[in-house]
Amino acid sequence: MTTLQIGHSPNRRAPALSGSVLWIILGLLIVAPVGSFLLLATSPRLFGQGPQYFTLRFFSQALSGVTGQGIVNSLWVSLVVATLAVAMATTLAWLVQRTNVYGRRLWPILMWLLFLIPTWMMTLSWVDVLQPYGSAAALGVSTSWLYGEFLGPFGIITVLSIASLPFAYFVVSAGLLGLGSEFEDAARIHGAGRAATLRTVVPMIAPALLSAFAISFAETMSDFGVPFTLAYHSHFPMATYTLFASISTYPANFSVAAVIALVLILTTVPPIVLQSVVTRRRSYATLSGRAREVRRREFSTPARLAVSAAVGLVFVIGLGVPVGGAVLGSFLRNLGIYAAGPVRFSSVYYHQVFAPSIVGKGFAAPLMLSNQLGLIAASATVALALVFARRLMLRSSHWSQRLTDVMLMGSVAVPGVVLGVGYVFFYNQGFLTTHVIDLYKTMPLLVLALVATALPGQTRFFSGPVAQIQPSLTEASRVHGAARWRAWRTTSLPLMSRVMLWGWLLTFAKTISELPISQILYPPSQEPLSVTIQAYLGNFQLGTGTAMTVVGLVEIFVVIAAALGLYRVVTPRGWQRIGWSGVGA
Amino acid sequence: MKAASLEVRHLTKTFADKVVLDDVSLSVARGEFLVLLGPSGSGKTTLLRCLAGIERADAGEIEIDERLVAGPRTFVTPDKRHLSMVFQDYALWPHLSVRQNVGYALAKWPAPERRRRVDDLLERVGIAPLAERYPNQLSGGEQQRVALARALAADVGLVLFDEPLSNLDADRREQLRIEIATLTREVGVTAVYITHDQGEAFAMADQICVLNHGRLVQSGPPESVYREPVNAFVARFTGLAADLPVEVLCPCGPRGYDVALPFAGDHRVRAHAPVTLAAGVRARLYVRAAGVRLSREHHEGIAGTVRDVAFVGRGYEHVVQVGENEIITKVFSETRHERDSAVRVCFDAASSFVLADAEGADRT
Repeated sequence: MTTLQIGHSPNRRAPALSGSVLWIILGLLIVAPVGSFLLLATSPRLFGQGPQYFTLRFFSQALSGVTGQGIVNSLWVSLVVATLAVAMATTLAWLVQRTNVYGRRLWPILMWLLFLIPTWMMTLSWVDVLQPYGSAAALGVSTSWLYGEFLGPFGIITVLSIASLPFAYFVVSAGLLGLGSEFEDAARIHGAGRAATLRTVVPMIAPALLSAFAISFAETMSDFGVPFTLAYHSHFPMATYTLFASISTYPANFSVAAVIALVLILTTVPPIVLQSVVTRRRSYATLSGRAREVRRREFSTPARLAVSAAVGLVFVIGLGVPVGGAVLGSFLRNLGIYAAGPVRFSSVYYHQVFAPSIVGKGFAAPLMLSNQLGLIAASATVALALVFARRLMLRSSHWSQRLTDVMLMGSVAVPGVVLGVGYVFFYNQGFLTTHVIDLYKTMPLLVLALVATALPGQTRFFSGPVAQIQPSLTEASRVHGAARWRAWRTTSLPLMSRVMLWGWLLTFAKTISELPISQILYPPSQEPLSVTIQAYLGNFQLGTGTAMTVVGLVEIFVVIAAALGLYRVVTPRGWQRIGWSGVGA
Repeated sequence: MKAASLEVRHLTKTFADKVVLDDVSLSVARGEFLVLLGPSGSGKTTLLRCLAGIERADAGEIEIDERLVAGPRTFVTPDKRHLSMVFQDYALWPHLSVRQNVGYALAKWPAPERRRRVDDLLERVGIAPLAERYPNQLSGGEQQRVALARALAADVGLVLFDEPLSNLDADRREQLRIEIATLTREVGVTAVYITHDQGEAFAMADQICVLNHGRLVQSGPPESVYREPVNAFVARFTGLAADLPVEVLCPCGPRGYDVALPFAGDHRVRAHAPVTLAAGVRARLYVRAAGVRLSREHHEGIAGTVRDVAFVGRGYEHVVQVGENEIITKVFSETRHERDSAVRVCFDAASSFVLADAEGADRT
C-alpha cells in the first residue's frame, strides 16, 4: 500500500515544485546567460564592463557604421527571404497536396534533406560549384558571369531563401492539410467564382502563411552560417556576424554586441511569439479534427509533366546542384586553383581529411568529438524536451507553467550566436568561476550551450505529439495494474517512440553541423567538425574542407538511415503502426 | 477473484473553488450493479475517477473490499486497487493488438493461462476472430467490446464503467448494453456504471444513485427511484411526459392528493407525493409517459389539442397542448390522432406525483 501524508495536499504542490525546478533549469540554460549579456547594452558597470550604470552610448555605436549597416542588411534581406520562401513554399505545398503532380511522396523527403543541411555547408557547396575552376567549370559550364553576383546580396538571398524553404513549407503544408476541399466546394456551390472562392479560402490558411513568414524571417535574421561565410567574403555585413566580430576582435566590445543581440532578439522573438499565439488561437487542429477526402486538381498529362519538372527543378537547384557540386568538387584534383591541362579527378582530399594538417590533428578527432557532442546533446535534449513538453500540456494555470511557456516560445527565436556570446560572458563571471563552478572554455559548457540551443525547438516539436496522447491511455494502464514505470514503458514510450527518434536524429544532425556556438565556445585544441572545416577553408584548403563537408554529410545521412532501419528491426510491429499523428485513442 | 464490496464515505472534491463532489456517501454490496445517474457536470465522472485512483479526493474515505484505499492519510495508487475500468473513449492502446490489449492486466500470469483467459473473454464478447487486429482496424462497437473484454479479463473484484455506450449508435448501444449487463453478472464482479441516460440506468442497475451538482440526491432500486422520486430534479431527470402547475386540493389516502389544474375547470387529478402537502398549496404535477393516455370520451381527462404526432413502430407518440401553453409529450396511442385535433388527456394516479412549487422551481 502506498501511504501519503496529506498535510498540504501533495498533488497540488508537486506541479508547482517540478515547474520551479524546470524553470531553474531553463533559467540557467537560457535566461541567465542571455539576460545578463543583454543588460550590458545599457548597464556595463553591472558586470564590470565599463563605468556606466545606465547609458545609451552603445546604441548609437551599434546602430552606426558597419554594425548599423549589418543590422539594416539583415532586416531587408530577411524580409525579402521570408517573402520568397513563403511564396515558393505555398506554391510547392499546394502542388504536392492539391494536385496530381508526380513525386508527391518524394518532394517532402527531399524537403527534409534540405532542412538538415546547414547554411554554411550550402554556401560552401555553391562556392564549389560556381567558383573559377570549380565543379561547374570541370563539367565545361562557364559560371564566371554568375560567381560575381553570387558573392553579394543575390547569392546571400538565394542561399537563405533555399534554407528557409523547408521551415515555410512544413508550416504551410500543415495549414493546407487541415483545409478540406469542402470549403472550396461550399463556396463554389453557393455561387462564388474562382476569385471569390480564393478570397474565401485564403483567409482560412492565413495563420499558416503568417506563421511561415514569421519563422522564415526569424530563421534568416538569426542565421550565422551565411553571414560568417558568404556575406563576410562578399563584404556585405550582417548582424549576426558583426555581433560575433564585436567579441572576437581585441578589445572585445560586449556592450555593442549586446545592443546587436537586443536588436536580433527584438526582431526574432515577437514574430515567433505572435505566430505561436495566432496558431494557438486559430489552431489547425480545429480544421483538421477529421480526416477529409481532399479533391486534387487533375492536370492534363503535358501540364502534369511540366509542373512536375518545375518542382523537380526547384530541388535540383536547391539540393542537387550544391550537393552534387560539393561531391564533384571534392574529387577535383585542383579545386578552385588554376591548373594547366585537362581536368583531373583524384581522391587526394579524402586522404588529407584523415591525415594531420593545419589544426595538428586529422579529421577523425573532430569528427569523433562532434559525434560525441551530438550523442550527448541529442539524448539530453530529448529527455529534457519531453519533460518540458509534458509540463506545457498540463491544464494548469500555475505561474511557473505560464512563465515556462513564454520562456520556451521566446527562446526558440534566440539566435545561436547570441546564446553562444551570452555563455562566454555569463559563465566567465568571477562570482561563478570563483565561488560556484568554473566552466569557462570547457567541454561541459559547450554541451550545455548545444542543449540550450536545441531545447526550445525540440520542446515545441514534442508538444504536439504529447498533446495527442489521450490521458485515458495512461490512466487505463494504471487502472489495469501497471505501476508508473510500466505504464510509461508500455503506453507513452511506444506512442512517442517514432517522434522521439526523429527528435533525437534532428538534434544529433543539427549538433554535428552546428557552427556559431561551436565556433564561440569550443575549448582550446578541441575543435568540433564545423570549426575544423572552417579552419581549413580559412586556410584556403578548399578541397580538403569540401571533402570533410561531404564526409560529414554522408555520416549524418548514414546515421539517420541506420537509426531508422534499426527502429524497424528492433521495435514491435505495433510501435511502427503509430504515425506522427496516430496517437489518439 | 470474488466480487468486491465498495464503501464511499463523505467524499468531497473541488476543482479551483468549484465543488464537484459534495459529501458523497454510498455503499455497494458484493456482486451488485450500481449505476451513477446524473447530468453533465453532476460529478459522476469525478466520483468514478476517485474510485479508480486517477483523482484524489480532498476529503472522505473509499474502501474497496473492506480495504481503505483513500482517506485522510492514505492513498493507494490505481494499479494497487485491484479494479478495472471501461473508458468512455475506449482507451485502447493503438500499438497493441486486440489480444495484447485484453491480456494487458494479466502480465504476471503464465502464458498458457493468460492465453486461455483472453481467448475465453474474446469468445464471450464475440470478437475472437479479431484477436490479431489493431484497434484502428475495428469499428466503434468492436472497439468497445475489446474494452469490455479487457476490463473483465483482469482478475479483479470491481469494474468501473465510464459512460461506455455514449459514443455508439442506437442499435449498437442497445446490443452492448445487454452484453455488459449479462457478462458482468456472469463473471461475478461488482460494477459501478455511470451514465446520463435514464433508460440505460433503469435497464441495467440493481441500485441507482442520482447525482446533481456533486451531491447524492437519491439512491435505491430502479423501481423506487422511478416511482418515488424525492424531488423535482429526480422526477424530471428520470423521464417525464408532463410538468404542470397545480393547486393541492385535499389529501386522499396515504400520501395521495387530489389536485386541480388551473386550466381544467372542475376536473381533479389524483397523484401521490413524497412529503406531506397542505391544502391550497401551489405545486407542480409530474407525470411519467406511462401514466398518460388519450381518450375520445368527453367526460374523461382534460381537453387538449394535438400539436405533433410521430410514428414509433408499435403506435404513435403525440405532443399535446393543454391550457394556453402547457405541453405534454410522449403521449402514446395505438391509433393516430391528427395534428390540431381535439383530444382528452387522462393521467394515471400511480405514475403521477405532486411536489411543492418551491421544489419544482429547482429546475436543472
